[in-house]
Amino acid sequence: MRFVFKTSYEQDINLFRHGGDRFWYGLLLLALAAAPLLLDTFYLGELSFILIYAIAATGLMLLVGYTGLVSLGHAAFLGIGAYANAYFISQGMPFLVSFPLAGLITAAAGLLIGVPTLRMSGIYLAIATLAFAYIVEQVFIRWESVTGGFRGLPVDAPDIFGYQLWERWEFYYLCLVVLVAVILGVANLLRSPTGRAFVAIRDSEISAQSMGINLARYKAMAFALSAFITGLAGALYGHHISYLAPDAFDIRLSIILLLMVVVGGVGSLHGAVYGAIFAGALPQVIAILRDYLPPAISQTPGLEPALFGVILVFFILFEPFGIYGRWLKIKLYFQMFPLYKKATFKRQKSYLKTERLR
Amino acid sequence: MSLLSVENLAIHFGGIKAVDQVSFAVEAGEVFTIIGPNGAGKTTIFNLISRIYDPTEGRLIFDGVDFTTMPAHRIAGLGIARTFQNIELFEHATVLQNLLVGRQPHARVNLLSEILFLPSVRRAEIAHREKVEEIIDLLDLQAYREQMIANLPYGVRKVVEMARALCTEPKLLLLDEPSSGLNVEETQDMSYWIEDIKRRLGVTVLMVEHDMGLVSSVSDRVLALNYGRVLAQGSPEEVQRNPDVIKAYLGGEE
Repeated sequence: MRFVFKTSYEQDINLFRHGGDRFWYGLLLLALAAAPLLLDTFYLGELSFILIYAIAATGLMLLVGYTGLVSLGHAAFLGIGAYANAYFISQGMPFLVSFPLAGLITAAAGLLIGVPTLRMSGIYLAIATLAFAYIVEQVFIRWESVTGGFRGLPVDAPDIFGYQLWERWEFYYLCLVVLVAVILGVANLLRSPTGRAFVAIRDSEISAQSMGINLARYKAMAFALSAFITGLAGALYGHHISYLAPDAFDIRLSIILLLMVVVGGVGSLHGAVYGAIFAGALPQVIAILRDYLPPAISQTPGLEPALFGVILVFFILFEPFGIYGRWLKIKLYFQMFPLYKKATFKRQKSYLKTERLR
Repeated sequence: MSLLSVENLAIHFGGIKAVDQVSFAVEAGEVFTIIGPNGAGKTTIFNLISRIYDPTEGRLIFDGVDFTTMPAHRIAGLGIARTFQNIELFEHATVLQNLLVGRQPHARVNLLSEILFLPSVRRAEIAHREKVEEIIDLLDLQAYREQMIANLPYGVRKVVEMARALCTEPKLLLLDEPSSGLNVEETQDMSYWIEDIKRRLGVTVLMVEHDMGLVSSVSDRVLALNYGRVLAQGSPEEVQRNPDVIKAYLGGEE
């Protein structure tokens, strides 16, 4: 087991705790950068898809995992980002302008839903965001002059200073750069006062307030930031599927996004990425498995959603901290071997909070 | 001029007068304690001062500023910090992170520079950390710095909550039953902490407390409440001898 001997406050602020971290993350980045050399076009496309999912999951994680606000309407933000970006590009705007602009428009939409629901939490907020997503979906269908309605809207390849990224590997690098930038930005935010304010609101609104945190302001900010990041993911998503139709952004996508956050591990950025890998790779794994299963099972329609549901139920029952929580346990098992005991992660029941002022 | 003056404070919940025409003044540098039987309105007064409730009547003045209608999140910036009767810490964070949240009233928030984590943000973080370390040293919390709150024993959580309040650099500290749930030894420690806070940091303390041993050892003045009204005010001995107070606690002939 590694013990870090701390000699300066910087060590608690730095993103990487020690050289080992730096080595492994560097190796991961190197492997991702080398992926186009090793994978064929199809799998590279799937990997880009996972990267886009990871961006969206990071946005949702900021809201659900760190600020403690539930959203069942994040597909709407993904859609707004995708349509805004596609529309601007069809009007001849360069990608480097339309992409951040799509994020900003989505952030404005985030404020639109975030501000009226400031006093809501839990299931009520979930329903409010769900309703918002339905409204947005209707807008995609009816506002034909912009969205093309059910006829759809083709999305041109992104161009950077006049150079169009037609190739899969070029688009893959674009997604990778955006994901790394988003994760770094969010990680920076989380080690700053704003990030601590988000976590404080999640754990106890009443004491956050008495520590000088303006609940309304920070909740609205969390919504806007989360929507901004999801909007960026949406813009890339649009390029990836290259043809937008309103039914691509329905409730199922919202649920998949929320599922990524829960299965990956609520309250960690690692969790967002693991969740994206899970949600992005599972359909492929199922498709591969189909070939080896007896026809009675493999030909059954609805195998994929059913498996998704079963896995989600198992996670909630047995591993509420998701894939990342399980990873931490496995890591500790080997670090402590042979002294690991099951009770390490058992939590004492918390004390009664009788006079909570909510 | 008094540090905190409460003038004719009243709050009615429907027909119940939880606090009824209460006035008192807390002088800078003293430990002022509110006592009273259960349901006397002590915590309600705290919630009024921290602006979680809106008073029906009366005025609240701190350091010459009338804060009767100020929003709750600006109270910490004014110089009033509080703890809660049933501990409201951020459970899924370490002690250090909890204490750093206490620095929030002094944080300059600029979203863009935080996302880029510019050197100015780093410097501010280190300055906050140094302040937090001072409080950690004062309250002997070094051993718990990296621990999650969810894993800490109750007595330590009480101290951490007090430390978090102190990290806001308050002029007035509101302690809601600092000794509830603590054993005899921990209560004794708590009285030393309160003395230290008063002497070494020069913070004025307003507390609600039931443990009369703790009350008489640390308080300069005591206010006794019953049914939302003031029964008596004075030194701990005077209040304890007051016949109305004895009657409120023990009952008496009508």
